[in-house]
Amino acid sequence: MAAIELTVNGRRQRTDVPTGAMLLEVLREGFKLTGAKPGCGEGACGACTVLLDGRAVKACITPALSARGKQVVTIEGLARGNALHRVQQAFLDAEAYQCGYCTPGMIMGAVALLDKNPQPSEAAVRQALEGHICRCGTYPRIVEAVRMAARETRRG
Amino acid sequence: MADSNLLRDYKRREFLRLLNGGTAVALTLPVAGAQAAVPARLARVGELYELYTGKIDMGQGARTLLAQAAAEELGVPVSAIRVVMGDTARVPDDGGTWASLTTPQTVPAVREAVARAHGGTPRVPADWKVLGQSVPNVLGRAIVTGGQEYAGDYRHEGALAGVVLRPPGLHGRLESADVEAAKKLAGVTVVNQDGWIGVAAATVREARRAANLIRAQWTQEPDRPVEELARPWKQQAIAPVEDNQTRYPPLVRQGDVEGALGRAARRQSTTYWTPMIAHTALETRSATAEWRGDRLTVHCGKQAPFLVRSEVAKALGIAEEQVHIVSLMPGGGFGGKQRADVEIEAARLARAAGRAVRVEWSREEEFRWAYARPAALMEIESGADEQGRIQAWRHRNYNAGAPGLPPPYAFRDQSNEAWRTPAPYRQGSYRALASTANNFARESHMDERAAEFKRDPIDYRLEHIDDARLREVLERGAKRFGWPGAGKGCGVACTIEKDGRLAIFAETAMEGGKPRIVRMLMVADFGAALNPGNLRNQMMGGLIQGLGGALFEEWTPATRSLRAYRVPRFSDVPPIELHLIDRRETRSAGAGEAPIVLVAPAIANALFALTGERRRRLPLMG
Repeated sequence: MAAIELTVNGRRQRTDVPTGAMLLEVLREGFKLTGAKPGCGEGACGACTVLLDGRAVKACITPALSARGKQVVTIEGLARGNALHRVQQAFLDAEAYQCGYCTPGMIMGAVALLDKNPQPSEAAVRQALEGHICRCGTYPRIVEAVRMAARETRRG
Repeated sequence: MADSNLLRDYKRREFLRLLNGGTAVALTLPVAGAQAAVPARLARVGELYELYTGKIDMGQGARTLLAQAAAEELGVPVSAIRVVMGDTARVPDDGGTWASLTTPQTVPAVREAVARAHGGTPRVPADWKVLGQSVPNVLGRAIVTGGQEYAGDYRHEGALAGVVLRPPGLHGRLESADVEAAKKLAGVTVVNQDGWIGVAAATVREARRAANLIRAQWTQEPDRPVEELARPWKQQAIAPVEDNQTRYPPLVRQGDVEGALGRAARRQSTTYWTPMIAHTALETRSATAEWRGDRLTVHCGKQAPFLVRSEVAKALGIAEEQVHIVSLMPGGGFGGKQRADVEIEAARLARAAGRAVRVEWSREEEFRWAYARPAALMEIESGADEQGRIQAWRHRNYNAGAPGLPPPYAFRDQSNEAWRTPAPYRQGSYRALASTANNFARESHMDERAAEFKRDPIDYRLEHIDDARLREVLERGAKRFGWPGAGKGCGVACTIEKDGRLAIFAETAMEGGKPRIVRMLMVADFGAALNPGNLRNQMMGGLIQGLGGALFEEWTPATRSLRAYRVPRFSDVPPIELHLIDRRETRSAGAGEAPIVLVAPAIANALFALTGERRRRLPLMG
């Protein structure tokens, strides 16, 4: 057990981390933030994706201790009150999901992409999200949603 | 560990009830909570209407669709309907979420009942205000904000964590075990009975630590390859007998196929193979079990809560009435979450611990201990006249089953047979089940015969099709796709699946010495499209999921991780065009399964056109 401080969705937090625990466990079990999902346990599906200091990471293989002193943003921290983040809104408008289990991770991956590359080509979107699996097969709508969100940035 | 007779009995009861007009719905308006023994119920609760169903939503959109059906007939907005799903204490047993039944059976039942309660009949399609519209998924906002609760998100305050000891081999059985060291640990419960060992403790870590102290001896049987175990199938197989009291009759025949084959001028016989594949729903299964006296409640995420209730009751030696199943939304199902397994494990541990216990399978446990889609060996023999017209057709499927066996073609003499064989490993349902294998075999064989007689694959199929709607699907598809002017490596496949008519077209090309899919197109006619937006989402999803099984998915006894089991990703998806023929006045067909069944033959036929080489085994690029 080790105590760490980190910022989760804008709030400073202190928490005890069991030895060897990954960030996903701390978020879900410790902070009850269940938006990030377990899928494969080896960083191969992207369902657990969150932002760590603005970078998309797979929380299931990111040691919780490595988040010490850093900023973590999860899907729960994207909207401002009732106003959805433009990527969330685009996923909603494009209905870019079926079961929706991969959606929080997809959205976080897309947010990280648009922060780096505000106007990605279709190929760039696919490449950036290649580590994310949508088992329901909504890939074309997801690409469409990310590009819709990018157009929104340009306008905004 | 679940009893396969229970599944058979449950499915047969469900089928016969629906066959006998049992789709009628009891209405308890305006009193909430009254019991009715027939499918589907509706009640007024304050400002809302609650619709109760044992169906669940696993991403196919059942929650939204059923709300639409009720809203249409009540003349209220979709937001006035709350659909209560999958809770055996609150909903009637209206069958499992399988076989694409919600659209053709549950929707009409709900509409009929609601309309009758108002002394009327269901609204005619011309008057629809809610049905036929692309109503957005009612779960959308919860999904994009992370607020949607899935089965694995459920937490019971104070529940222990359970883990299960597994044998090293898939057929391993427990010979002996020393559990004393684990039992001595404070706060640890060990169950060691009937060849099964599980451990519960405050956390997964502690449970694992205790489990590691257990010395278990298992029988040592090597996990042999599926194909090796399938080698004796034809000698072991049990021939089908006619049975029309089942959803998928195992023997569908007409005329005298043996005589007709004997008389045929041109015979051809070909053999096809499809391997086992894993559902790989992104969420692994989990369950939380809690006992109160002799009554058990299990929260889980399964497609058939009432079947799970039967299986849990039987495994725990109690009556069904003592078991309450609450099935929450699973993160994907695809037919892989129908049977009780993790629920039984949690219930056994909870009974011994005297506390609630939660068990969650790892990805490795999913691959090793969940059932997979059955492998299939298929033999098709056809007899044609000198012009190529097929008169006689015999299609045998070994092991995978009867779905998709009846051909969409007007063959005069035919016999379509599902032969039963010993399962090599745990096998079970999967989106469309054997229909994918049977369509792969049938549509490949049709293509082979078209090539043999030097006929255009579409013209050749049309010559054998009487069904006007299927003809239209093929003809429209050909036009949209640009057939026959399309590139060299083009292929097509068509079928009638669960009353839906569809065709898939694929174009392939060589790139760097390897074949690549250039583009695909699907045309489908599912009758009246009750929610076109969701229907298109299902069509696309089914096609893309089908790419995995067609191109590279193969489960083997060595499959343990997602890195070792490739499923379709962004880069695997070619440009795909969808065309929906919306027939407002025609009964709607379910479409959750149909789009997956033609992906493999369309691509196999395209690869034949490209390379001249016929691939009769899946995966095509494995």
